Amino acid sequence: MYPGEGRTSDAAGRAGEVPAEPVRVMVVDDHPMWRDAVARDLATAGFDVVATAGDGAAAVRIAAASRPQVVVMDLQLPELSGVEATARILSADPSCRVLVLSASAERPDVLEAIRAGATGYLVKSAGAAELVEAVARTARGEAAFTAGLAGLVLGEYRRLAAGPEPAAGPALTTRETEVLRLVARGLTAKQVASRLSLSVRTVQNHLQNVMDKLQVHNRAGLVRYAIEAGLDEGS
Amino acid sequence: MPPDTRGDRRPAGFTVEVTGWRALAAFRFLTLVYAVALNLDDLGRVHSPAWCVATLLVMAAWSVVATYCYARPRLRTTLLFVVDLAVTLATVLATLLVETPERIAGGEFTVPTVWAATAVMAWALRWEVVGGLLATVGLGAANVLVVDGQPTRGTVHNMILVLLAAIVIGYVAEVLRQVDRIMVDAWQEQGASAERDRLARQIHDGVLQVLALVKRRGAALDGEGRELAQLAGEQEAALRALMTGGSAAPSHGEVDLTALVSPATVSSSIELVAPAEPVMLPAAVAKEVAAAVGAALHNVAEHAPGARAWVVIEDEPDSVSVIVRDDGPGLPEGRLAEAAAEGRLGVVQSIRGRIRELGGTVTILGEAGEGTEVELHVPR
Repeated sequence: MYPGEGRTSDAAGRAGEVPAEPVRVMVVDDHPMWRDAVARDLATAGFDVVATAGDGAAAVRIAAASRPQVVVMDLQLPELSGVEATARILSADPSCRVLVLSASAERPDVLEAIRAGATGYLVKSAGAAELVEAVARTARGEAAFTAGLAGLVLGEYRRLAAGPEPAAGPALTTRETEVLRLVARGLTAKQVASRLSLSVRTVQNHLQNVMDKLQVHNRAGLVRYAIEAGLDEGS
Repeated sequence: MPPDTRGDRRPAGFTVEVTGWRALAAFRFLTLVYAVALNLDDLGRVHSPAWCVATLLVMAAWSVVATYCYARPRLRTTLLFVVDLAVTLATVLATLLVETPERIAGGEFTVPTVWAATAVMAWALRWEVVGGLLATVGLGAANVLVVDGQPTRGTVHNMILVLLAAIVIGYVAEVLRQVDRIMVDAWQEQGASAERDRLARQIHDGVLQVLALVKRRGAALDGEGRELAQLAGEQEAALRALMTGGSAAPSHGEVDLTALVSPATVSSSIELVAPAEPVMLPAAVAKEVAAAVGAALHNVAEHAPGARAWVVIEDEPDSVSVIVRDDGPGLPEGRLAEAAAEGRLGVVQSIRGRIRELGGTVTILGEAGEGTEVELHVPR
């Protein structure tokens, strides 16, 4: 949600390695076996799983107490939806990052979670290695892009561009669109880099910018909503 | 929960129970006007104009009371129907006080004339054909009393008309009530099915979680465990595609291309990448594009077994693109030309043919080791 912060934490780790100071992770899933499996995989990979929660409301409460750096969030949760929990956790602690891990989320739900500030999305069928990689990337402040997420984000930018009123936030550059389209086709950052004759680092920066701009759109949307609803006064 | 699963919007008998009684009220007042006009015209010739006017006043008063009562389901009791018929029969019998026996024998109308049929219709609406027949028998008896057991041709003729009306209205009431019941059933079924969908979603989500978990844990095992994991993975992919597919039902002649393509991507090695919103295309166009995607995926399975594949749907303002990409061995240089020369371009030609028909283009990209990309581009 907060552009810039991702890049300042660059020193935390490189090339998928877990940094010296273990990243504090919280796992939110209503399925106990899944929660344990994910927590175990992450602990094995060297993350510090500081908390787990089985429903959205508990997740918001526990996150406030245990201050995780990364929250691995299921979307289908009792009490409070994953989208709502994501929004509340991030408004309480803007430095926290949320990675969505869902079994059956429909595309609009995933997009809602991204709008609420989540920076990554993984389907549960992804392997343990992919999950570890995505959490490490999320902890570093990078967007954890999968093909599915790229397709959703691309669709969202096109929807914003085609909207009746001109989009309030910045649009994608040609290069960013190009990168996003290739990621949507299932190419890895490395493959995208070689196709476009860029460095992997540059590709990742482009992806990061894409996500940051989307957050600007979302904040612009929230501000507009607040003004319309008369909530801006005194804040 | 979707708001329409609640049962309070059921159409409570809107055919007979509302329109039937309204029509009856209209008939009652129309016939009243007719009866009043006929009797006033005859007032100079009747035996007792006072009784005639009194009977007409009773008819008018009862028309108002009956209409008020029939309009309210709470007041529409058996007693009301009995009183309605009794008042009607009384007005028919009052003819004996109004007219001389000679005029009656001469074929003069009863005082209420067709107004008397209203009660029969009410019975027919309430108890259908049986009720209509019973009321007709009552009215017939009263008429026979009026003519002193000597029914004129006019009396018989009128009673047969009333009988026919009773049968027709009784039958229509029966059919309309059945329609009402069917509609209420359909309404409830709709609500129940929405609720079932909601429950199914929860259950499916649970099943999906377990399948994904089996796949994940089994991957670390060997032998049969790994096989089970693979099977679970296939089923997981199928179920997820089913759950997240959206609706491919056409609306206004357009369908969601994503939902239409979704069933073809039911495999753990194929990922469907699409915008969150439905990608609407005319049904015929979407069908052709989906068929082309199916052919392209078939091609992948044939020429790059075991490869992963992505189906990417891009919704642009003036066109729709679908890219089918695999990470298989790709196309060695000159391979396409070679295949064309040997006349082995069946699948590619079928894809090109379908898309060209739609005014679109097909681009095939692929280098050895880079996988293959088939891009379908269709104008809106």
